[in-house]
Amino acid sequence: MARNPLRDRVAIVGIGSSPYGRDLQRSELSLGLEAAVNAIADAGIDRQEIDGICGSGMTSLAMGNAGFLSLQGALGIERCTWGKNGWLGSALVYTVEAVFSGLCDMALLVQANVRSPGMSRAAARDPFRARAAQFAGIGGDVGLGDFAKRWIHSGEPYAAIMRRYCHDFGVNKDAFAMLAVNTRSYGALNPEAVFQSPLSLEDYHASRMVWDPMQVADMDVPCDCAEALVITTAERARDLNVKPVFVHAMALGGTRIGEYYENFAGWRDNSFQVSMSGLWDRSELRLPDIDLFYPYDGYTMDAIAITEAAGYCGIGEATDYFRTSWDSSRNILMLDGRVPVLTDGGGLAHGRAGGANLYAEAARQLRGNLGNRQVPGAQSALIGIGSFFHDPAAVILRA
Amino acid sequence: MSEPDDAEVFAHYPDVHIDRDNIAHYRGLMGGRLLINRCSDCGHWIYPHRPLCPACLSWNVVPTEVSGRGSLYMWTLIYQSRDPDTPLYEPILTAAVELAEQPGLRYLSRVVGCPPEALRHDMPLRLTWIEEAGRNWPAFEPAG
Repeated sequence: MARNPLRDRVAIVGIGSSPYGRDLQRSELSLGLEAAVNAIADAGIDRQEIDGICGSGMTSLAMGNAGFLSLQGALGIERCTWGKNGWLGSALVYTVEAVFSGLCDMALLVQANVRSPGMSRAAARDPFRARAAQFAGIGGDVGLGDFAKRWIHSGEPYAAIMRRYCHDFGVNKDAFAMLAVNTRSYGALNPEAVFQSPLSLEDYHASRMVWDPMQVADMDVPCDCAEALVITTAERARDLNVKPVFVHAMALGGTRIGEYYENFAGWRDNSFQVSMSGLWDRSELRLPDIDLFYPYDGYTMDAIAITEAAGYCGIGEATDYFRTSWDSSRNILMLDGRVPVLTDGGGLAHGRAGGANLYAEAARQLRGNLGNRQVPGAQSALIGIGSFFHDPAAVILRA
Repeated sequence: MSEPDDAEVFAHYPDVHIDRDNIAHYRGLMGGRLLINRCSDCGHWIYPHRPLCPACLSWNVVPTEVSGRGSLYMWTLIYQSRDPDTPLYEPILTAAVELAEQPGLRYLSRVVGCPPEALRHDMPLRLTWIEEAGRNWPAFEPAG
């Protein structure tokens, strides 16, 4: 077992969200601030207790939008001893490591997402979105004139990887379909979900082809939204009037394959495999101890690969495993007959929140007051968020 | 004919992020040669364009022409452009071509001379060149 001195020493004590909507006509910062204010109120703390902020974005020190510097100023927080931006799975991991290491005692994590001009025609016509995108740091040597750079930080290779998956393991897209249908079944239970209507397996297969073989039902739904968490030490958490949710263990997962996604490292050596094995090396818990599962579903391919990396089934075996896990009376997955998956509706139905929706949903489930989608008695959640190439986090939260 | 100088490379690719680590590659493209960095000490091929060998940490990295032989590792057909006002009249094929020089050494490119329905994983390909808006770019076609 690997060293894990932070075991159960860091806790989530505040959870706050903004509304989710296709066009809320608000800035990214505004959405982040609403989530932040709600999380601070939920924790029952004075905002001046916050001394560290993890803002939103893939450029860790970028200014503007819902970056940490803008958040601190806009929230009127006088002193912070730690700040950084993060996105996808890494944002929570960065924040927890900052609290654990003593760089700060009460950290605010804010992840805001907006429908960017590249995501839809309506968004591209919105001059506010266009201008925001023009000035956003894109953090690298992306695309533009050279076709050979088209797959740098691109979604398209996930479609090629999906085809390679079906080829290498001799399967069709049934596992992808079940994952998508599962999220839409939960979306119907989540009043904030962008997609409130359920999807059938037939609907999935009939959905529009975007990047063959990836269909629109394989892709998360772009929306305007924000989530925020307040994270502090377990010791401080005991003094607050909330039920804490503890960070049991976590790991990130880098590989030698960087931003040129055509160099995909294969099924055994990708970042999901590294982060999940790193997590299990740091915990005495095993899958039978896990009550809830949140595999990031930016694309269905991500969630399939994370499920396999977590060890629920072997690599390439998700199709058979999902078939034996399918509850056809509710159109949901119940892994090993017991573990629900993406209970908020995930990115595919709740909305594209970069995985922050999964951290928030897991924490709310573990508090245990989530109304008609509460999973009774849930005590632990396994969360995997990120991509085959960057920011893959594997995290276990416990009540 | 002499090689284009740096200013000519920058002028030819105003829409590409040219830097000190990749300019030799683009100079090669202007001359119709596909150059990939190779370590002079251990022979490892290095892509994307980087100045250090990740296998032996040597700085003796030389842009080297590849044979042009490869195979189709994975591909996707883009049916929807990012801007729906510029509809795609036929899907764009984007393909990761595994170059014969080294396992896992892949170059993102087009495949021409082959209908999409005839594409197969791992099929043999060879380098060719296509013209697009006045510039020549590498592409691949079925071999044999």
